[in-house]
Amino acid sequence: MKHTTLTFAVTAAALLGATAAYADYPTRAINMVIPYGAGGATDISARTISEPLGAAVGKPLVMANITGAGGATGSVAVQNASADGYTMLFARVGSHSVNPAMKATLPYGLEDFRFVTVYEINPVACAVRPASGITSMDQLIAKVAEGGISYSSSGVGSMPHLASAMVLSEFGVADPLTDATHIPQKGGGAAITAVLNGTSTFVCTNSSALASFVANKQLTPLLVTTAEPVVGFDAPTANQLGKDKLNQLVGWTGIAGPDDLPDDVAAKWGEWMAAATADPKFRETMEARGSVIELMDPVKANEFIQGQYDTFRTLVEDLGMRIEG
Amino acid sequence: MSFIDSLMAGLSLVASVEAFLALFVGIVIGVIGGAIPGLSATMAVALTLPFTFSMQPITGILLLLGVYKGGIFGGCIPAILIKTPGTPASSATILDGHPMAERGEAGRALGMALWASCTADLVSNLALILFAGWLASFALNFGPPEFFALILFSLTIIAGVSGDSLLRGALSALLGLLLATVGLDLVYGTNRFTFGDPNMMGGLNFIAVLIGLFAIPEIIAMAWNPTAHLGKARALGNAKVTIKDYIASFRSILRGSLIGVFLGSIPGIGAAPSAFLSYSEARRKSKNKANFGKGEIEGVAASEAGNNGVAGATLIPLLALGVPGDVITAIIIGAFMVHGLQPGPMMFILNVDIIYGLFIGLIVSSVFLFIVGSVAIKGFRFVADVPKRILMPAVLILCIYGVFAVNNNIFDVGVMFAMGWVGYVMMRYRIPAAPFLIAFILGPLLEDNFRQSMLMSGSDPSILLRGPITWFFWAMTLLTIAAIGRAIMRKQAV
Amino acid sequence: MSPKTIQFQLGLGACLAAAFLVLWAIPNWVSSPSNVSNIVLAPVFWPYALSGITGLVGLGLLLAARGASPVPDAEAEPAADDGLSWVRLSALAVIMVATMFALPRLGMVWTAMIVFVLTAFLFRTRHPITALICAVVIPLALYLFFAKVAGVAIPQGIFVRLP
Repeated sequence: MKHTTLTFAVTAAALLGATAAYADYPTRAINMVIPYGAGGATDISARTISEPLGAAVGKPLVMANITGAGGATGSVAVQNASADGYTMLFARVGSHSVNPAMKATLPYGLEDFRFVTVYEINPVACAVRPASGITSMDQLIAKVAEGGISYSSSGVGSMPHLASAMVLSEFGVADPLTDATHIPQKGGGAAITAVLNGTSTFVCTNSSALASFVANKQLTPLLVTTAEPVVGFDAPTANQLGKDKLNQLVGWTGIAGPDDLPDDVAAKWGEWMAAATADPKFRETMEARGSVIELMDPVKANEFIQGQYDTFRTLVEDLGMRIEG
Repeated sequence: MSFIDSLMAGLSLVASVEAFLALFVGIVIGVIGGAIPGLSATMAVALTLPFTFSMQPITGILLLLGVYKGGIFGGCIPAILIKTPGTPASSATILDGHPMAERGEAGRALGMALWASCTADLVSNLALILFAGWLASFALNFGPPEFFALILFSLTIIAGVSGDSLLRGALSALLGLLLATVGLDLVYGTNRFTFGDPNMMGGLNFIAVLIGLFAIPEIIAMAWNPTAHLGKARALGNAKVTIKDYIASFRSILRGSLIGVFLGSIPGIGAAPSAFLSYSEARRKSKNKANFGKGEIEGVAASEAGNNGVAGATLIPLLALGVPGDVITAIIIGAFMVHGLQPGPMMFILNVDIIYGLFIGLIVSSVFLFIVGSVAIKGFRFVADVPKRILMPAVLILCIYGVFAVNNNIFDVGVMFAMGWVGYVMMRYRIPAAPFLIAFILGPLLEDNFRQSMLMSGSDPSILLRGPITWFFWAMTLLTIAAIGRAIMRKQAV
Repeated sequence: MSPKTIQFQLGLGACLAAAFLVLWAIPNWVSSPSNVSNIVLAPVFWPYALSGITGLVGLGLLLAARGASPVPDAEAEPAADDGLSWVRLSALAVIMVATMFALPRLGMVWTAMIVFVLTAFLFRTRHPITALICAVVIPLALYLFFAKVAGVAIPQGIFVRLP
């Protein structure tokens, strides 16, 4: 008797599980992996959207920072998770377009993920300290020819690393790898501090990270990579300087699942994100930090990321920046 | 605005029930968070951050600062009671705090930790208020060559915590330095000892190594001989810290606070090296030198003063330059930004009321810390009375949960276990664990700053002696090495 | 073990480890790009330097072993009187390895309960009932705290999920 009840219950559960697999997704809390540390740009962005997003999803979102190796450790955790939509990743420019373009030994590629959205764009800005006497890109490029120019980044294969190389290359520096010195730091904050204390000459990174230093006149902005000017940055845009190609050089945050994520789940995320990004408080908080809220549906997000990856990959190949071994 | 005006403006901002309540609640959260190994002050601050978005700026920031200060103190509670540091900064407290607990003086050790913490906290806050601008501009003189010299000097601490054999201490330190090389190379991004495992690419998790090295060997030793502890007094007893203890340790506390202020105001060093440096300086100057490492109350005082001295001082680069000194202040800076405040020199002009409001809140926080800490000590004292053979499995479970929570990664639990066996072998071979830990923290900093210096100068080593700061630390290093050498000679002569 | 044995074994171990690192581990497990401009900047420089010093310290320990006392002193850790020390030590190692396998499959809470019971009895606790109660209560309480208060994604395993 007991045995039959049990068998029945198990069969019923199995049947329910099979038919109603994604119709009532989600039935429990969703695990959201943040591949960077607490307090970073990705973390703050993720935790800011988790509030309106959680309301849209209707189930709790459990935020889990899995830090290490420039976002690789957390990304691999999601790559290997089952594609049931209960483990998703906050993907970022560093972990999902710069890293794959630069690192040959990376244990994952773009094809291992299915992007369900990109919701935030961060303009990139380059800045120097006022004591350097540099006030424009032209002056910086002229100094590169003289030698002794260096740039800092949050690590090898990070977005600021690639950004500086790309900017130099766009402005006609023939060999950015030897004409200017790359001084990697541990983390984005350290990269900016290195410019502040004169360890390196300039840094190119998210405008939000530079905003307070620019407002305090501790750093002089030279360039922003978007077509539109960035509030608070008294610097020309890439287009004004005739370098439209630099528009590709922006930071972004999106959400991704493992590559075999079902279509229904991806579609649901599309709806939720539309609801979450419409939240006025979310927009206000994010825009105060200098982000541009731009919602992309799953198809557009994949195209955008692939496009950025291709640009970066070409640049990396041209400059011989690829990290082997 | 004059000073008085600013002060009044600040006072009007914080003189609300919410602001003080937030500070108090923050300290409570911090002490609890810090007392749970693996949760640590960093996690506690990160978890509290989202709640501050909807608060008044000053209330939210005071809440976070409360969590921070509470967390740094709270870390000493498990360090003393179960030999598991709650935060990395409290690992120096283990050296003397845990032997005291083993001797039945947990209450005295905890009490001294609290008094030292509060004193250092106050000193640190005063330093922030009085010297913020000056210390901040000094800190900006620290480039890679200065860091290299400073860290080289800090490595001489190892001699102070090596116990009876300097060679075994050096071996321990080398093991730490070697294990710290695991991960991606800083300059070229290539793999070092990672075996292609993405979990290894990020390097070995610091907290996992820390807990593995200190807590797990105790558990393994229990398996070796489950009854070894019987007959040793472990109950908390009524031993309390006295004014006499405090006065006797006061010099060490003050020295530790100043070391904390100094290292805290330089971005990128953090509280753990400060605690160790303060500890080894106290040992060097103390009359009871031989008793250090065996349960000397001055050692507890010095290390706790060293780590809490950092807490106020890390706000110096944060407020004066907008530069976060460590992970925790990096999170706190997020709270400023969300409210549209941009820390830096301009904030002293544009938002001077908030700055002074923070200063007043900080001063009050030392008092709150004392109150909350006293209650927490009473609350946690019962741990010392738990039978050890129930306590140890519980500690093991707690460590598994805690280490997992640090980075949401089961791999780290494995690292902890593995390091536990390394720690146990070290214990059996009488290799001290503290040098390992110091080397593990400082090793990557030393290597990175060395290579950054070389990059800056195009591999010209003369950059390592580029200015007075580097000369000072090189001289200090040489003097310390000479002193150590002389001590060895004298020992052999006897 | 006497101080002499300790110093001698450690010195030998350090020398062997240094040799292993220099001859096998670093060449094979540390990759260094071919275009390194200066040897001091190479990824292998620091590991080689450390291995070298380890070898020197090992030699130092071997030298020091000559002068050390060959008599075991008071600090030596006595084994338990039941002669089962090594058995328990291996059992604990097995428990730890098993834990690593069980964590992703059983989930953290259930694994923790089993580990608690096993270790408590491994240590021959004098309070078996208390141990059993604690084994159930502590992992659950920790789960509640970490998962519900701190918002940590505690591994749930594939069999029985907690709410």
